[in-house]
Amino acid sequence: MVVVVSNFGKKLAATGLVLGLFSAGLAWYIGGYLMVTPDSVASAATSAPATSELTLQTVAGLGDAYSQPTWVAYLVKDAHGVWRQSTNFTVPANSTVRVTVLQYDGASGLRNPFLARPEGVVGNTIEVDGKAVQAIDPALASHTFAIPGMHLVVPLEGVADDAPDQCEAAPCGLEKAHRTITFSFHTGSRGRFRWQCFVPCAAGFIHGFGGPMQTIGYMDGFLDVV
Amino acid sequence: MTIAAMPRRTSPLLRRLVGFNLITAVVLGAIGYYLGWWLGHQVSVAATDHYADTNQNDVALFLAYGLAVVGFLTGLGFLNYPVSRMLGRPASVAAKDEADGWKRYVSLCTDHKVVGLQYLIGIGFFLLVGGVNAMLIRVELLRPTPNIWPAGQYLTLVGLHGSMMMGMMTSGILGPFANYVVPLMIGARRMAFPRIEALTFWLLMAAGVILTSAVFYGGFPTGWTGYEPLADQANMGMDSYIVFFALVGLSMTLLGFNMLATVFSMRAPGMGWGRLPIFVWSVVATSALNVLAAPVLVTTLTMVALDRTLQTTFFLSSSGGSPFLYENLFWVFGHPEVYILAIPGFGIVLELLPVFARKPLWGYRLAVSGMVGVALLSFFVWQHHLFMSGLNANLRPFYMLSTELISLPTGFTFLCAMGTVWRGRIRYDVPMLFCLGWVFNFFIGGLSGVFLSDVPSDTTTHGSFFTMAHFHYTIMGGLIFTFFAAIYYWLPKMAGVQLNQRLGKVHFWLMFVSFNSTFAPLFVIGALGQPRRVVSYPKDLQFLNQWVSVSAFVLGISMVVFLANFVWSLVFARIPADPNPWHSSSLEWQVPTPVPVHNFDRIPVITAELYPYGAETTAPAAEPLTVGS
Repeated sequence: MVVVVSNFGKKLAATGLVLGLFSAGLAWYIGGYLMVTPDSVASAATSAPATSELTLQTVAGLGDAYSQPTWVAYLVKDAHGVWRQSTNFTVPANSTVRVTVLQYDGASGLRNPFLARPEGVVGNTIEVDGKAVQAIDPALASHTFAIPGMHLVVPLEGVADDAPDQCEAAPCGLEKAHRTITFSFHTGSRGRFRWQCFVPCAAGFIHGFGGPMQTIGYMDGFLDVV
Repeated sequence: MTIAAMPRRTSPLLRRLVGFNLITAVVLGAIGYYLGWWLGHQVSVAATDHYADTNQNDVALFLAYGLAVVGFLTGLGFLNYPVSRMLGRPASVAAKDEADGWKRYVSLCTDHKVVGLQYLIGIGFFLLVGGVNAMLIRVELLRPTPNIWPAGQYLTLVGLHGSMMMGMMTSGILGPFANYVVPLMIGARRMAFPRIEALTFWLLMAAGVILTSAVFYGGFPTGWTGYEPLADQANMGMDSYIVFFALVGLSMTLLGFNMLATVFSMRAPGMGWGRLPIFVWSVVATSALNVLAAPVLVTTLTMVALDRTLQTTFFLSSSGGSPFLYENLFWVFGHPEVYILAIPGFGIVLELLPVFARKPLWGYRLAVSGMVGVALLSFFVWQHHLFMSGLNANLRPFYMLSTELISLPTGFTFLCAMGTVWRGRIRYDVPMLFCLGWVFNFFIGGLSGVFLSDVPSDTTTHGSFFTMAHFHYTIMGGLIFTFFAAIYYWLPKMAGVQLNQRLGKVHFWLMFVSFNSTFAPLFVIGALGQPRRVVSYPKDLQFLNQWVSVSAFVLGISMVVFLANFVWSLVFARIPADPNPWHSSSLEWQVPTPVPVHNFDRIPVITAELYPYGAETTAPAAEPLTVGS
């Protein structure tokens, strides 16, 4: 049987094909880039009422297993105890979040010494290696965990340059040289809050502000209060 | 059997595919890209340490883009002619002729009419991509906190939208319409440099693809202005922006030179400067800006590329350079660029109003002096973009006054437009509606610009959505409305078919109302303090932002109406257009449709004024009247 396609049908098919290709390209364009963002990792509930825990680590370079081996980054421990490269966290509203940061990166120094004083944390105090402090030496800061929308600033002290057995690839184990910083903060009502590191720590980039400092999943992300 | 007598065994399909055409160009472009990428990873330069630290090899990407463009142009056949001349073969201006049919439109062709149509489709496509980006921006801004995509991607989206529109649309009028109608309007058989004309188009297409590819290299955070030092800190997507705008600048420069050479040297006998069609005058003014401003852009971006690759420090204050140098150089190009977008719109409005008001153009010399005045003054206003940058305060009064002064020659255009339609027998055809839409929009754009040129008010409106609303009123309300006026007006000549007028009117009213509904509230939003390029905003601005977003979606729907009309009229209905549907006396309407390859059998002699509408006779102002074949 011979199927005769009219001129009109050919034009219609060609137009449909072009529109279909354009739509598919557009969907790929949106899906392939714009929507890419790390999954949000929820804080772990604790036995205390209205309290949860978030465990993070910072590394100087992610290592060859990641798409940007040389970039500085935060990692977060998920509900199964697995370290994941994400900077999007979910915490309950109107609760207390206890954060532990295992700090494996060296010091870069703060440009604004004001950020060396913790703000917005419970008791205005953080613990560095088990010792309560109300400020750190700005020159020793490696990163900050800061949420401007919640008036929260926590400076993170870096590992000494000459510390033995430094971590070279994420995720880092507790046997590697690190500092342990712990603090708590209260969440308010629901909302989405941007957080970021204010130490220009992107090695190799001009003034330390490129690459990981501009990319979600490395030195900034979102805190979803739900 | 001799070799000559042997039958050819190449299949016809293969013969069609192998040669200098778009397929070859894409293949050679891809090969060039990978070759450049490979080379970039082999060479040892100062950037190697930077690469080791950052995991981004800008040298490789620049080489990849550079060789991809060379491969693409080679595949299209741009090297064939210079090589054949070097081999002693005779000179020729023709690269394709009528026998090539539709294939002329997807290959190197030196017919100015084909290049005009190539531009129309090519630029139209990227206009659509830029428009889709705008819709995505407005989707994100439906909510005050980051909603669908993260802040970094949002910033890239804004940058892609702005760069696509400001880059590709620099040739939005000159590319499709000036290329097509200027030779016809001045009685010439071709452009002065036909191969350069084709080159400008294909460079622009390569540029558009390169900009779009920025998303695969992490995007870029600077918006369309590419400010330092952010540009030096940015991901590899910044390289895409740099190569894109450099190619756009190159294309603009060549386009400008070609237009000037054509108008200066190829006018028909009798077409003195006082008889030049007003649209051609706008092309001359714009082309002069092209050749003077665009090279500054190309040079500046070359310096940025050197900073990012060979570790020079032109714009790095920590090493003796200055980011202010970039900002100044950018706006030395950037402000004339605004008028590169606007002046062709002036020309179209003043060209079309006499036709649809059936009156001679009022104040021809005033209109010419207005456009030339705007072009000249546009080089003396750029620092109003830097009022808030910390520049020497003593410079502010001069730039404030020079910026306000430019409203005078701009006002000439309005005076001439008003004088022309005053007591005219107006026909409200679709092109006329778009011209009248321009009058309203550009008036609002001009008025709001005064607040940005005045230092005291600029201190509160700078960098806000107020600024954004202002330049959309001037550029979209100015350029894009006249772009559509030109499509509806000249497409019957260019494509030989008429667009559906009823759908055209639906398109206009939907676009005009939704355009104003989108951008007028942004003045308020900006005055209330919402900054541009920021993904989040205060909750109490959500209603206004949602209003704007919904209006923007309706604006997008108006474009779909146009696209449907365009496809329906050109592909399905194909109703042959009247040879002169608007009863214009301009020369391009006196030649047959479709226009013969060489335009005129005999070069016409211009014997009278060009805009005699309303006079006793509306006969063409050219002798002999046997123009065309």
